[in-house]
Order: sequence, then C-alpha cells, then structure tokens
Amino acid sequence: MSARGFWSRFLLPGGVWLALLFVVPLCLLLALSFGYTDDLGRAVYAFDFDNYKDAFDPLYIPVLLRSIGFAVATAAICLLLGYPIAYYIARYGGKRKHLLIALLVIPFFVNYLVRTYAWVALLADDGLVNSGLESLGLTESGIQLINTPYAVIGGLVYGYLVFMILPIYASLERMDPSIVEAGKDLFATPFRTFLHVTLPQTKQGILAGCVLVFLPAVGDFVSAQLLGGPDTYMIGNLIQDQFFTANNWPFGSALTVVMMIFLSFWMIGYLRSSAREARQSVPA
Amino acid sequence: MTSFDLGAPFTRRQALRAGAGGALGLYGLGSLAGCTVSRPIDTPEGGVTAKAGIDGDLLIYNWAQYMDPALKKEFSEKYGVEVNEVNFDNLEAMVTKLQAGGRYDLIWPTPEYAARLNNLGLLARYDRSELKNAKGISPFYDTTWWDPQSEFSVPYTYYTTGIAWRDDEVQGMTGSWNDLTNPDGEGRMFILDDFQEAIGEANLINGFNLNTTDPNELEISKETLLGQLEFARGISTNSTQNLVNGTAAIHQAWNGDIVNVRNQVDNPEVFQYETCEEGVPVGTDLMCIPVTARSPGTALKFIDWIIQPDNAARNVNWNGYPQPVDGGQEAFAELVKTAPSIDVDLEQLGEGGLEYRLEDPDDRRLWTNVWTEVKAS
Repeated sequence: MSARGFWSRFLLPGGVWLALLFVVPLCLLLALSFGYTDDLGRAVYAFDFDNYKDAFDPLYIPVLLRSIGFAVATAAICLLLGYPIAYYIARYGGKRKHLLIALLVIPFFVNYLVRTYAWVALLADDGLVNSGLESLGLTESGIQLINTPYAVIGGLVYGYLVFMILPIYASLERMDPSIVEAGKDLFATPFRTFLHVTLPQTKQGILAGCVLVFLPAVGDFVSAQLLGGPDTYMIGNLIQDQFFTANNWPFGSALTVVMMIFLSFWMIGYLRSSAREARQSVPA
Repeated sequence: MTSFDLGAPFTRRQALRAGAGGALGLYGLGSLAGCTVSRPIDTPEGGVTAKAGIDGDLLIYNWAQYMDPALKKEFSEKYGVEVNEVNFDNLEAMVTKLQAGGRYDLIWPTPEYAARLNNLGLLARYDRSELKNAKGISPFYDTTWWDPQSEFSVPYTYYTTGIAWRDDEVQGMTGSWNDLTNPDGEGRMFILDDFQEAIGEANLINGFNLNTTDPNELEISKETLLGQLEFARGISTNSTQNLVNGTAAIHQAWNGDIVNVRNQVDNPEVFQYETCEEGVPVGTDLMCIPVTARSPGTALKFIDWIIQPDNAARNVNWNGYPQPVDGGQEAFAELVKTAPSIDVDLEQLGEGGLEYRLEDPDDRRLWTNVWTEVKAS
C-alpha cells in the first residue's frame, strides 16, 4: 500500500465528522434561508427569495458598515499591539519563548463571553478602571467608558488579539535572522532594516493575522451586546436577534448566508494574495 | 434563603431575555437550524385529560435554579416517586424539544408560549377541582386570555415591569413612564433589551393599547423610543449589574431584579422601584402538562404541592420571585418589606394590570421589525 493510501484511511473519521456536523447543518441553514415561519411560529422549508430581498433592505446598510468599521479598527489595533509582542517574543524570548506564548494563550481558554463580562465590571462607572483613575486624582468623577463604541472595539481587540500575535510570531520565527544581520552590515538604520527587511518577510503573517481577527470581529455580537450603547448594533446582533427574539429563523439564516458569502470574498482575496506571494518567492 | 442571598449574577429573566443561550453563538447556528423542522407528534384524539393521582415518576423541564430543591425531595419521599429535572435556557428550545417528541411531565411556559403550545394541541386538560390548593390562586388569573376556562395552566411566578432608579442621584420621579427621561438621568438611563417591553412602554406613554398592532401607532412609538435613546446610555437586560456597578441611574426593570440589586449593595435603601400610572405590564410563568407526559397524574399532584401555601412561601424565599398564590404573596411581601413598592399586589392593579399578547406571527413580525429599526438606526 502506498503511503498516500495509508494516510487517506485516517481522513475518513474526520471527514465524516465534518460532513455530518458541519456541512449538513450548513446545507440545512441554506435550505432554511428560503423558507418562512408559519402561523404557529414554526420554521417551514419553502423556496422563495423574500428573506434575501429583506436582507438587502437599506435599513441594514449602516449596521453592516458599522460592523466593518469596528472590525477594521479592531484588526488595526490588534496589529499595532500584537506585532511588538510577537517581535519581542520571537527575537528576545530566548529560553522563555514557550512560556511567554503559553501565558498569551492560556487566558483565551476562558470563554469569551465570560471574559467580556469581566470587562463590564472593569469599565462600569463605579468599576475598577474608573475608581483607579479617581484615586490617582486623574479624574474627578467616573468617565463614561462602557456603552460606547470604544468599549465595543476594546472588547473585540481583547477577544481576538491572540489571533494576530500567533501568525506574526510564526512568520518571525521562520525568518532567517541572518538577513537582518545583512541589513545591518549594509549600514541600514534599525528602522530601515525593519521596514525593508523584517516587515516584507512577515507580510504573510500580518495578512493571516488580519484575516483571523477581522472575520470573527465582523460577525461578533457579544462585545456589542455587553459593552455597547444605543449606537453600536452590529450585524451579529441583528442575526442573533432574528433567532432568539424575532423567532424568525429563516430570515436569520438568510442574513447568515449573505454574511458568509460576503466574508468569503475577503477570504478568497487573502488566499489569492498569499498564493501569488508563494509563487513570487520561488526562485526563478 | 440559600441561593437567593448569594445574589446570583444572572437572574432567570435576564438569562431568558439576553438570549444567554447566545453562548451558542453564531458558530452554533448551523446546527440549530437542523432542529427547526419538527415531525408531527401523535397527539391523542380529543387531547389528554389529567386526573390527580400518582401514575409514575416525574420528569420536569424547567429553568435552571428556579425551584427549591427541597420541594422536589420532599415530594419524592412523600409519594415514593422519583422527581427528575432537566433545564432549558430559552423557551424556543423548549418548544423545539417538545415538538421533536421529547416527553416531559411538567413545563414552565409564558402565556404567549402556552397559547402557542395549546394551539398546537400539546397541552393536557384537567379540572381545577383536582387541585386541593386551587382556591389560593390569585383571582387575577381567573379568566385569562390564554386559558379562559383555567383548564391547562396554573401560574407559578409573576413579575411587573416598571422603573428602577437611584434615589441619591435622581429627584422628582412622578410614577409615569415619562420618568425614563427624567433630566437627572441623562446619559445614564437604560431601556430593557426586549422588544415587547421597549415598544410597550412607548405605547403606554402615547396612550395606545399596550399590544397595538396599528402600524401608524407603532410608527409614533418608534419615534418615542428613538427620542429616548438619544437620552439613554444603552439598551440592556442586565439591569442588576448596571445598577449595582453605578452605570445606571434610571433603568426600565423587572421588579424581581431590584430585589437582587438590593441584596448586592451596601446601600439598598437608595435603589427604588415604581410601577407607572399609564399601565403596568405583568408577566407570568405558568406550569403546564404536555399531552406527551408519561405521568400526567403525578404532574398534577406536583402542581398542587407547589401551590400549597407553606411550600409556596419556602419557594419564594428560595428563588426571590413572588408566587401569585396564598402563602407565596405573603412571603414575598415579607421579603421586600423595606421596599414595599417592589411588592405589586395583582388585585390592586385592577385595569392597570396589562399583559403582553402577540399571538399572530405577523403581528410579532411587525413589532420585531420596529425594534430592529430602532436598534439599527
């Protein structure tokens, strides 16, 4: 038996698992998105496009734009915060590298919902941050932190930062340190070395990190629900409300499908760019 | 007074409304969708009529942490049957399980859900005279819109919706829904993240029927809500936390949540609650027996056990929610005697006591669309 044939056998359990528990429900979701709810509030399979017509109601455009804006801001902040952390660990972590990475990852084992609840207590008007600021004499009375767009973006950054750090760390680890040495040998300043050597070498890690942060952040509903105010409604909240409040699963499914298609474009764009990158890096 | 004193971070209402089942999250939606289409249940011809009498072990399907476990244990010892409990965290999930053929002996729906289950032919009938303690049930529930003959539901707990505020920061509350926009609360007011409570409050301010389905009236109420949100800090069902951690000065709230707030702070006297003259929404959780119950007779015995005055009193002390039966009401009044406004006497509400009622899915859609527009803009 060829090695390939041998290993294909082990694909079977995982493949069946994915097919049954991921692909089949996804197909049901797709089928349901063409359905409607009957007089008793039950979801019924059918074939009409009403839900999709509703999904493109101009009412939802600001919600979508807001979600994209929050997610872009989240990815940008994660990049600014995450790159130096990844860089420090990769270059100067030494023997403690694995420990540092573990310290970053362990908090993420705690459920995101629970961690966001902790932020509610932190950011409240009488919360830890405000009482800290007051006792330091920096502010007179509590400033409004929670129920703002900033709190929502902050919650998203907190939720997804590790997805930025890990791919950048991996790309820095893969990088050959001797090319940085070469940059220095050619009398480049540390900044120019970083800009012209390190940064391009880690571009794929940055892109991967941005995609991994952006995609879940666009669809997030926890942060806006717990930390948001009246003007932070995101597409994830809209979809969640269709399922749990409006009891309109077909419309919720249609919104989900539209969202998945929209996000797939970003994903395809990313995959194509990394494929191009891979081709270019092959020596001619 | 065990779990009640701990001031659980979630009350059952909040868990319900916040869709904390939202932990299921978007990732779970794919698998959820698979459950929606239910196979028809073999509902017995002419329905099921329950007779009180032990006819087997009991499986109850309830909200988590919603009943004193001692009541189950003692029932079990007294009648020599097992009392097993499973929990749901949202009513939609409960209906889904019932429709999928799940067999439970006792469930806890709201009136709107009870009406829906009844329309589906899923609720067992019984004669109220089978219940020895039926005379203790508040007359408020004598002729309800969902069960006018009182033949398939008994109230378990009730709650009112009103306004909570901090007395040390907000002056001049008047007992009207307009108090939500009392100037002292600007930027620190919250509306409940519940489409019915939010639109309902606006309907009452505008003098409309609580459950109006007139699109023009709903449009006016939408404007009212948008105006309130200019003034508000947020939309949230976490009224307990928002009040305890100082973020809210004024909060549309359920009365049971204020009991929780007052249990968690050093200065409980500061936290006040009022019901409003334009109308007081009253919510109820009911006990119903599905037609698919294995032991409908035991279930009926159990209902009788729960509304027995001394048991109702113990249960109220345990979970903190008023029960509209003899024993339960007195226990709740005692529990909140330092803040009598939290204790709302159903009989005294008279015409002011209102209930949400949106049975037709199209009407519900109309309301949820208004709420989506409010939240999206």
